[in-house]
Amino acid sequence: MEKKEQKRHQHKHSGPKADKKNRKKEQGTEPERDERKRNPRAFSVQSAVRMAKTFHRTQDIKTKKHHIPLVDRTPLEPPPVVVVVMGPPKVGKSTLIRCLIKNYTRQKLSDICGPVTIVSGKKRRLTFIECNNDINSMIDLAKVADLVLMLIDASFGFEMETFEFLNICQVHGFPRVMGVLTHLDTFKNNKTLSKTKKRLKHRFWTEVYQGAKLFYLSGMVYGEYQTQEVKNLGRFISVMKFRPLVWRTSHPYVVADRMEDLTDPEDIRLNPKCDRTVSLYGYLRGTFLKNKCQVHIPGVGDFSVADVSFLPDPCPLPEVIKKRALNVKERLLYAPMAGVGGLVYDKDAVYIDMPSGHGSQQQEVRPTTELVQSLIGTQATLDAKMAASKVTCLMFSVLIVRKQNPMESREWDERAQRERRRAVFADEDDDDDDDDDGDGEQESDEEEDEEEDDEEDEDEEGVTTLKKHDKTAAETAAPPVKKQKCEVPMEMPAFADSDDELEKSEEDESEEDESEEEEENEENEEMEEGEPAKKSSGPDSGLCSEDDDEDEEEDSDTDEDGDGTVKSKMSSKHPEEENIDTDDAEMGYETAGALRWKEDLAQKATEAYLRHQLAAPNLRKLVYGTGEHINLWDDSNDEEELGGLFKVNRPEKSKKVRADAMDCSRFQPDNSHDWDQEEVRSSIRDCFVTGKWEEDKDAATLLKEDEELYGDFEDLETGQVHKAKTGNKDQAEVKKKKKKKFFSIQKNKRLEKKRRLKERFDAQYDDGDATYFDDLKEEMQKQAELNRQEFEDVDDEIRVQYEGFRPGMYVRVEIPALPCEFVTNFDPHYPIILGGLGPSEGNVGYLQMRLKKHRWHNRILKTRDPLILSLGWRRFQTIPLYYIEDHNGRHRLLKYTPEHMHCGATIWGPITPQGTGFLAVQTVGGIKASFRIAATGVVLDLDKSVTIVKKLKLIGYPYKIFKNTSFIQGMFNTVLEVAKFEGASIRTVSGIKGQIKKALRTPPGAFRATFEDRLLMSDIVFLRSWYPASVPQLYNPVTSLLMPVGQKETWAGMRTLGQLKHDLGIRNKPNQDSLYKPVVRQVRHFNPLHIPKELQKALPFKNKPKQMQAKGKTPRDLQRPAVVREPHEKKVAALLDALSSVYAYKNKKARAEQHAKHKEFLKQKEKQEAERQKRMKEERKKTYRAMGQKEKKKLKSSLKGASKDN
Amino acid sequence: RALVAPSLFEGCNCFRQRLVLSTLSGKRVKIRNIRSKDDNPGLRDFEASFIRLLDKVTNGTRIEINQTGTVLFYQPGLLYGGSVEHECNVQRSIGYYLEALLMLAPFMKTPLRAVLKGVTNDPTDPSVDLLKVTAIPLMKKFGIDGDGLEIKVLKRGMAPAGGGEVLFTCPVRRSMKPVHLTEPGKIKRIRGTAFSVRVSPQMANRIVDSARSILNKFIPDIYIYTDHMKGASSGKSPGFGLTLVAETVNGTFLGAEVVSTPQGQGDPVLPEDLGRNCAKLLLEEVYRGGCVDSTNQSLSLLYMTLGQQDVSKTLLGPLSPYTVEFLRHIRDFFQIMFKIEQQKPGEDEQKGGEKVLMTCVGAGYSNINKTIK
Repeated sequence: MEKKEQKRHQHKHSGPKADKKNRKKEQGTEPERDERKRNPRAFSVQSAVRMAKTFHRTQDIKTKKHHIPLVDRTPLEPPPVVVVVMGPPKVGKSTLIRCLIKNYTRQKLSDICGPVTIVSGKKRRLTFIECNNDINSMIDLAKVADLVLMLIDASFGFEMETFEFLNICQVHGFPRVMGVLTHLDTFKNNKTLSKTKKRLKHRFWTEVYQGAKLFYLSGMVYGEYQTQEVKNLGRFISVMKFRPLVWRTSHPYVVADRMEDLTDPEDIRLNPKCDRTVSLYGYLRGTFLKNKCQVHIPGVGDFSVADVSFLPDPCPLPEVIKKRALNVKERLLYAPMAGVGGLVYDKDAVYIDMPSGHGSQQQEVRPTTELVQSLIGTQATLDAKMAASKVTCLMFSVLIVRKQNPMESREWDERAQRERRRAVFADEDDDDDDDDDGDGEQESDEEEDEEEDDEEDEDEEGVTTLKKHDKTAAETAAPPVKKQKCEVPMEMPAFADSDDELEKSEEDESEEDESEEEEENEENEEMEEGEPAKKSSGPDSGLCSEDDDEDEEEDSDTDEDGDGTVKSKMSSKHPEEENIDTDDAEMGYETAGALRWKEDLAQKATEAYLRHQLAAPNLRKLVYGTGEHINLWDDSNDEEELGGLFKVNRPEKSKKVRADAMDCSRFQPDNSHDWDQEEVRSSIRDCFVTGKWEEDKDAATLLKEDEELYGDFEDLETGQVHKAKTGNKDQAEVKKKKKKKFFSIQKNKRLEKKRRLKERFDAQYDDGDATYFDDLKEEMQKQAELNRQEFEDVDDEIRVQYEGFRPGMYVRVEIPALPCEFVTNFDPHYPIILGGLGPSEGNVGYLQMRLKKHRWHNRILKTRDPLILSLGWRRFQTIPLYYIEDHNGRHRLLKYTPEHMHCGATIWGPITPQGTGFLAVQTVGGIKASFRIAATGVVLDLDKSVTIVKKLKLIGYPYKIFKNTSFIQGMFNTVLEVAKFEGASIRTVSGIKGQIKKALRTPPGAFRATFEDRLLMSDIVFLRSWYPASVPQLYNPVTSLLMPVGQKETWAGMRTLGQLKHDLGIRNKPNQDSLYKPVVRQVRHFNPLHIPKELQKALPFKNKPKQMQAKGKTPRDLQRPAVVREPHEKKVAALLDALSSVYAYKNKKARAEQHAKHKEFLKQKEKQEAERQKRMKEERKKTYRAMGQKEKKKLKSSLKGASKDN
Repeated sequence: RALVAPSLFEGCNCFRQRLVLSTLSGKRVKIRNIRSKDDNPGLRDFEASFIRLLDKVTNGTRIEINQTGTVLFYQPGLLYGGSVEHECNVQRSIGYYLEALLMLAPFMKTPLRAVLKGVTNDPTDPSVDLLKVTAIPLMKKFGIDGDGLEIKVLKRGMAPAGGGEVLFTCPVRRSMKPVHLTEPGKIKRIRGTAFSVRVSPQMANRIVDSARSILNKFIPDIYIYTDHMKGASSGKSPGFGLTLVAETVNGTFLGAEVVSTPQGQGDPVLPEDLGRNCAKLLLEEVYRGGCVDSTNQSLSLLYMTLGQQDVSKTLLGPLSPYTVEFLRHIRDFFQIMFKIEQQKPGEDEQKGGEKVLMTCVGAGYSNINKTIK
């Protein structure tokens, strides 16, 4: 906006002000006086009441700022921050991620496929996830995102997806949102650019919050955003703070970044559709994850975890924090789904994923990653994998799928409510996004890809000239897609070669190791391909076997558990890694983190082990056993057979005693203590206040200490110094005698003394400020400290048993019995989330929720129409019943949701804690509505029964009417039914109230009823009753991840009745009575009024009907002659006339006067009345306000009372 | 997809624990071979009565018992609470039922107001009086306080015929507070109740005297109330007994009790012997020590488990077999393991036997039954 030129201040040159100024100038500067002194009145207390009020108000504001203090449960080493890059298709998401990754790690990742984890700083790691344009992905990612980068195509404006995503975020706890405007280079005009920026910014602010951060990425340089802008964005991301969200701090979750199928290949061969066992890897977030817990995988379903184990961090933070910045080795990148990762440890194997590095190495490496990544990208079967050409073919098919998105969005755009929606076509034309692969734009794409490649080469070689980047030069190069294809077979040996080099650097490595290594690499690759891995060669070593192996290797400790075969493999490997670390820097940086981890762990483990051995005579073992569970279901096998026919059924004493023992909590005492004996009695002597107290709590010592503290003092007035005599004496004695012996005690004492002094000081000085809030906060802080410290020095292996796996760990979660489609239709572009479920959240029940139709959704929702809800981790289809609560607490069924009001909804769904937000969409497949989020709300209550009722009017007709009693029929069918409703109140349509009295014998269902008035035969009697409605038990999880690749957004569940009718072409026959017919109005014909003769006679004359005969002609004799006046008479008449007219005029004038006077009077009266009304109104207002305030106060206090017990 | 398979158990041992934990965790339970090799197989009456009580306080519970009563399938519903009246079977005392209710009550939808009828005191189970003086203060430490929390003996009914009546009310809470009960403190006073029904009121006085004779050697602050109930509130059987509780400066309550043998079962006891025995039992309890007495160990461990995801610590005396079983069940149902550290008494300390420090991280449990408005 242009700044308006403001009128400048004009100095006065003449007049009193100028004179004053001049005088001042002459006298020199006046001595500045204190405002308060100069104008004391302005600062004096004007009104005590007002002052009290202002004080009150400031206190109120201060208190309002308080949040309920929560225990800080953030882990010491937090998991990577999940950064979700969201935006409509072709807005530049992948480019941004690529640029950010390059910014942080100086590495290039060509295809963003699945989560990419990087180390971004000394204390922070980031996981980038790209959100594709599918509402399923949007919902899932909104639940796990810590930070959302919301990309907005500035050339187009906002798109519905953006708003939908924001609303999804809002429901599931609002993560941090940062807007990024792209395509700013399409604006030719600077003014329109700034205008658009401003407009978008303000709209964004209204959606997120005022002042939300919005970044502008102006223009691309060689297919990348400008380095400086990306750097700035990166800085913002790496310093961003996050707030804990309720759902996430109470539920563990894992965003899987690696998936492996562990199913026995033989089983798959026999039955390709058999259930799969899959292990998923990822950082644990949220809260502690317990082994054997239940998880929900959005898009797949509920599963119980077979096993969880923690693995060394594949992307660890730098160990020592003393440098200013990270060095190149520490900027790690881990993206197994995109084929990039360092050393990967598994339960019983170690994989070296790819020797990715910097500089010249990268050139060789990149294609390998592409190979792996292309293999991952394909969802091909075994034979398909054999032929490499098919892989690319399928990859191409993926591309085609991607191309469809803009088509959809285009259609979508036409319906969006943006005024510039048409711009989508223009946008596509001059779109310079590099990740679109439409056929029409293939050429330009290739160019861009080439540019990118070239640039990479340049970076790698260190060439800085930019001349080469001409389009012509690019065109000469081979198309990139083909290049990839060609390099697939070539790169395999290269990969092996690099390994060889690796081996050569070692001096003492046997051939076996080499082959083993290769095998492993292959195995690893196979795993990556989604092929079942050959696994579990030995018995499971329990949790994190590699840890055991570590410490064996390092300290040659003998540990009982640990499997032989794997151990040997591992132990041979580790020295090698260390060598790599020392010899080959390029290679080593990936293993560096792992090694540091290793050293530390080994030490820790041995320490913990020793401690463990020393400490416990193993009460733990006694309680929890040694690990193996006693199999309850083993039937006793040691049964004898008698003559081979009969079995001796011999009740086993011990087992039976254990299983069927008395269930009693009383702890019977052993009789070893004879409390009559003195020494036994003295064993508990100190348990009583009469016994000996501890050193630090004994009253005598405390007193002494107090004297020490307060005994010496100097009387300031007299200058006399008082000394504590006894204390000094004692001290001296103690010094002499017990100085050495109780040195430590003394030290402790001193510390204690100090502490006590400080406490007293605090109590004295902070007491005024210490509020309930402060106390609470302190308590929470103490708790948090305790939480941190309690298990700090415990070995991780033991620790996970106590607290579960803590957030920040890299875990491997094994899930059995996953549907085969999960593996066969696996697409890394779709997020896989393991959402942990709390106790009883795996159950299903009725949920009562408060729901509101979204204002932007253009249709109201109908009861019993299936709806897809996103609640907790889950997305599921269910059938809601809407209701509204009546004043008496009755839940009355509604046919439709109200337009702009909350209503209740009851569904049959998964038990989710109250207070959890949810959102509803009508369909996840395709885009049908203009705004897809149909409703939002919150869970209020869980129950196993429903309380919704539906109004039901039973109608009956009187068939016999006595005075006020009638016999009614047609309402019920049997006597029993009537008996149930005896005493119920009924009503006629005309409003006569009554009551059901008793059933009649015949006809069945008829009853006697009394009314307050006599009925007519034409009356209709009805009984208003409430019929309980039943909620259909439909709980249908949205299994979008199981859909074939490319069709994942087409999941369709149960159809609504309307859709069904539409699809099947069924139209309802309307009720004939409800149809409109032409209105025919008949002319009403009234009969003449007939009055009986008797009545006529009795009527007064006035009302008697007049028998008027038509008047005939007056006969001649009856005709009166005309009067002719005499002249005198004429005169008189004229005078009289004149007089009367004068009189009339006078009269009229007087009346007018009177009228005017009266009017005046009325006006005055009205005024008075108005004044009175006004006064009364004010009075009433005052009363109502007082009443309202009272009400509010009451409400508030009741609310407070309710919240207090929460 | 089908729900997860129910947890399998065998035998009627720890019957209450399993059902209570199942109700709290929402996990289904199947118990097989309940007294299958017994002459009188299947569930006993008191267990059936217990199941009925659970059914009363919950909504939507599914219970399947086979013909012989040797297999029980239990699918928990939601804890509902409200006003409940239950006729407890006289084979076990009300304590048997009340212990389970204590575990469930804070997690109901509406505050529980249960009237339990049956035997108030019998030798096998912890009596209502004992729970009243030990369990209630313990619950207060977990944040379950307020006016609503109380156990009231309306009528006293002795074994075998019963006829007693107990009112138990408990407010609901959304979550439990973590506790750090590591310092039991020193015993400052001993209180007790000597009761007698349908016998001479003198019995109670005799009990008091004998109990005091032992306890006076330790601490002078002893007061034992005598409680003689008459008429309608005296139940159907005669009997007498004593409940003692030692209170420490830190608010730990250690209790002990002895009841006369039920009429027609075993040898009758003298009130003097009973008083002395009870006093000795209390000393035994003091010897065991800890911040929670032996009957309430499992209750405190359960509340610790169901706390927020914070570290809770409690110092206990030696773990009773029941508690050990309970710990195992907690691991099965909530995947919570306790860190168990033994604390040996110092050489010059005379504070009873070994203590056990139990530490755990709460399961992050919140009351999913409570309605929000």
